[in-house]
Amino acid sequence: MKKKVILAFTFVAVLGLVAMPLFGGGRREARPQVTVFWALYDGLTEDYRRELESAFMAAHPDIDLDIVAIPWDNMYDQILTSVAAGDPPDVSVIGTRWLLELKEMGAVLPVEDYVSQALLDNIAEGTKEAELEGVLWGLPVAAGARLMAINKDLTDVVPTTMEELRDAARDAADRTGAYGLILPGQKHTELTDFVYYFYAAGGEFFEVQADGSLGRSTVNSEAGVKALQFMLDLAEEPGLVPDGYLSQTRMDAHPVFYAGNAAYVMIGAWAESSLADAGATFEVEYAQIPGFAGHPSQPLVVTDSLVMFDGAGNPEAAAKFIEFFYQDEWKARFDELIGFPPVTLSAAALPQFDTPLYEALGEAAINAKAWPLMEGWAEYDDRIWDAVSEAFLGRKTPQQALDDAAAAIDRARGF
Amino acid sequence: MAARWKTKYTPLVLFLTAVLLVIMLFPFAVMLVTMIKPSFEIYATPRWWPINPTLHNLVAVWGEYRLAGFFTSSAIIAFGTLLANVLLCIPAAYAVARLRFPGRKFSLYFFLSIQMFSPVIVVISLFRIFVELGLINTYLAVILANTVFTMSFTIWMMTGYFRAIPLAIEECARVDGASRLTTITRIMLPIAAPGLVTAMTYTFIWSWNEFLFPLTLLRSQARFPITVGLYNFVGRFQTQWELLTAAAFFALLPILLLFFLIERRLVEGLAAGAVKS
Amino acid sequence: MSFKQRLLHPEARLAYLMMLPASLFILLFMFYPVLHVVMMSIHDTTRLGHLRDFAGLRYYNETFSDPVFWRTIGRTVVWTVVAVLVKTIVGMIIALLLNQPYRGRRFSRMLFIIPWASSVPISAIIWRWVLNHEFGLMNHTLKSLGIWARPPVWLGEPLPAFISNLWVDTWIGIPFMALVFLAGMQGISADLYESAEIDGAGALTKFSRITLPGIRHIIIIATLLSALWTFNDFNVVWIMTKGGPAGLTDILITALYKSAFEWLRFSRAAVLAVVTFVVLMALALSYARLYFKGEND
Repeated sequence: MKKKVILAFTFVAVLGLVAMPLFGGGRREARPQVTVFWALYDGLTEDYRRELESAFMAAHPDIDLDIVAIPWDNMYDQILTSVAAGDPPDVSVIGTRWLLELKEMGAVLPVEDYVSQALLDNIAEGTKEAELEGVLWGLPVAAGARLMAINKDLTDVVPTTMEELRDAARDAADRTGAYGLILPGQKHTELTDFVYYFYAAGGEFFEVQADGSLGRSTVNSEAGVKALQFMLDLAEEPGLVPDGYLSQTRMDAHPVFYAGNAAYVMIGAWAESSLADAGATFEVEYAQIPGFAGHPSQPLVVTDSLVMFDGAGNPEAAAKFIEFFYQDEWKARFDELIGFPPVTLSAAALPQFDTPLYEALGEAAINAKAWPLMEGWAEYDDRIWDAVSEAFLGRKTPQQALDDAAAAIDRARGF
Repeated sequence: MAARWKTKYTPLVLFLTAVLLVIMLFPFAVMLVTMIKPSFEIYATPRWWPINPTLHNLVAVWGEYRLAGFFTSSAIIAFGTLLANVLLCIPAAYAVARLRFPGRKFSLYFFLSIQMFSPVIVVISLFRIFVELGLINTYLAVILANTVFTMSFTIWMMTGYFRAIPLAIEECARVDGASRLTTITRIMLPIAAPGLVTAMTYTFIWSWNEFLFPLTLLRSQARFPITVGLYNFVGRFQTQWELLTAAAFFALLPILLLFFLIERRLVEGLAAGAVKS
Repeated sequence: MSFKQRLLHPEARLAYLMMLPASLFILLFMFYPVLHVVMMSIHDTTRLGHLRDFAGLRYYNETFSDPVFWRTIGRTVVWTVVAVLVKTIVGMIIALLLNQPYRGRRFSRMLFIIPWASSVPISAIIWRWVLNHEFGLMNHTLKSLGIWARPPVWLGEPLPAFISNLWVDTWIGIPFMALVFLAGMQGISADLYESAEIDGAGALTKFSRITLPGIRHIIIIATLLSALWTFNDFNVVWIMTKGGPAGLTDILITALYKSAFEWLRFSRAAVLAVVTFVVLMALALSYARLYFKGEND
């Protein structure tokens, strides 16, 4: 009797576990499968992703393509988890600043070994940031310097120094009752909103050692303190920056500009498509992010790359996808949607990239400076932003806060 | 008796209920008015009712994104987790509640100990295990992971409910010649049904809302459940609250419908069970 | 009966068999991963989390000598205690209200469940919007009703941000408490209340003499589970503030996630995980004692 009961239970339990794959959909396809981690840029539509997917599969019926949309916020974690578990995607968009980390892990393949020479020749020379020691590891997918957008309904001044910017912003705020300048007080994936001021003061994150490698942190240099103090002064002037700046990431703060409630914002090329999305009707002028008096303008440039991962299984099929995507038909439309300047020579010649925005971007690119390319940057970036927060909150002076951050970074790097 | 309750306490009850409901439903009220605001009213001077209410956001979100696919995935994952929970947990809960054996307390601790780990802690190792088992990017992987984290609640709930049933009832049935299996399925389970429903509801909500596992274990856009699908909206629409709230509204509807269907059983079943015994 | 006899008793054998599937399942999908975490905490790890050299207790020493760690621990304790208390009290009040007979209580029961039914990531995102300093309707309402003329920057200043996170976590947890308590209350026989009324007991007496003892086990289980979930609530903190500003709203689980997935310091993260485990184990054990109190087995 009892035996029967026991048997019945075991049977049911085992049956249940065995039966579950039936609706698990876990069957393996024989066709090569290419998985692409696809970053959700502002302005990139779901339609585009679907059309690209089906167009590629129509052209290559033997390959199963899966383009997985992932928000930027989550991209880094997703890639790391999958690499750590030994099951990376075939192709992924990455921030080029993560490349060194991934290369040190042995996670990426040199893309130049897999795509055609014709494609490599078509990539603009200045955008090949993913070149390490002469080897091109990834193709630039979106490369753009940051610039300043000005609401012409609120101000006519195009400032040429940070000090002028402050005065013009104050003036605009006083005259119109709108905010003078957008100043996000919280980090959104990167240190961006500090680095605008830091680079404008001629700041460098690290000293360069004799052998060319990066040494101790110099974020607490005179430039760093000057930049942070300047941000604090901006924040403390009533009405100059949005009231709730302390709680705003750029994702919360930029819409204030899109809504016509601020005169100046330091922003990327996506401004144009975002303004259109928000239904903005005011006139916008694009200008360079100024340097402090006596310093040249040195805007941040951010490159994202398309890289191939080792161990994903189908590098040849993955390369076919990359070739397909970099045709003008797809890549130029992509650039246009996300509002970044084209990275291929053939697309650069297209008429849609002949606008004031792209002109300003081209100019910005000349002096632009990138993030440091190093292992562990995500941690140091966090530490620096924590220092910025502590200064904003009045818990430390800018000098103290940056000294502490520099010390923590040096300690973590073993100096 | 009911009449006396009404005259004496009802006004206070109603007042307190109303206050608490306003507090608890505040964000949903915000969601409802935000999703009918045109985009240019979002970052204007705040006001509750939009100047130009519109259904455009709902249409736009429903049209551009295939929400139905997300819902199907969520349902498969949630029901799979339910099934696995029932099969694994009811025997275990019965054993702990009703049978005498050495290590009974230890088993309860053992089952409870699952709750001490957060998905965050184990997600990398689980990922590796599922890679080894060839289950990455399958619903099964997510179902199994969800099951691990919901089992402890189900076992404890069911143990509590089984223990509350008087031994006499079960012994009666056994004297009448019913087998253990019959006793469990015909007598214990119906009496403990409210507990089971509560546990299943919890499991369902947990798996419907779980985020980290589908996010890491699934790879195909087509298999994403609604949580991941919606989170991806956030990446895109963080600033476009009118679209985001519209999407959240759609995500909320099916689970509310479900609640509406089972709600009567959820709480009142217990009273009925008690009366019968 | 000797231990061996008891172990081999048919009833015991049946019990083990019935628990076998669940136990195997847990061992494979829970204890094996946890074991790996423990191994990581006493080894150097690569930036992918693979084990390298044995490191002994070095990472434990490093962690325990870090003042930020202790502040995070303190904050996590406050977070858990306050949240569970508020959830229990408000949940109890709601359960009592819903246990009263009045027209429309089914409907209000439905409404109370909504925050729990809604997905946590989505709720947290909506709360971010509600609490938006300038454009959110929370501050707008506080100001226009004259309740608070100058509300704080909820998600920007450390204490208001912590309170916001705490509230959202609590808000999500209250309906669960209410529902479970209500289920317990409805299991209490109406006769008990009637005879108490004949004895002239007031509402408070009935609550403390009948209701509370009647749902004692359920309260214990529900608050324990709630404490465990609250302690481990990653989604709310991560989506609302990411532990910011300056790490001042971090709780243990977000600090852990940051160490592992952002900074790739897996050994350090594993130490935090082990600490989490030890703390929760202690909590669970003391609770289990409470649960079994007054039983003779």
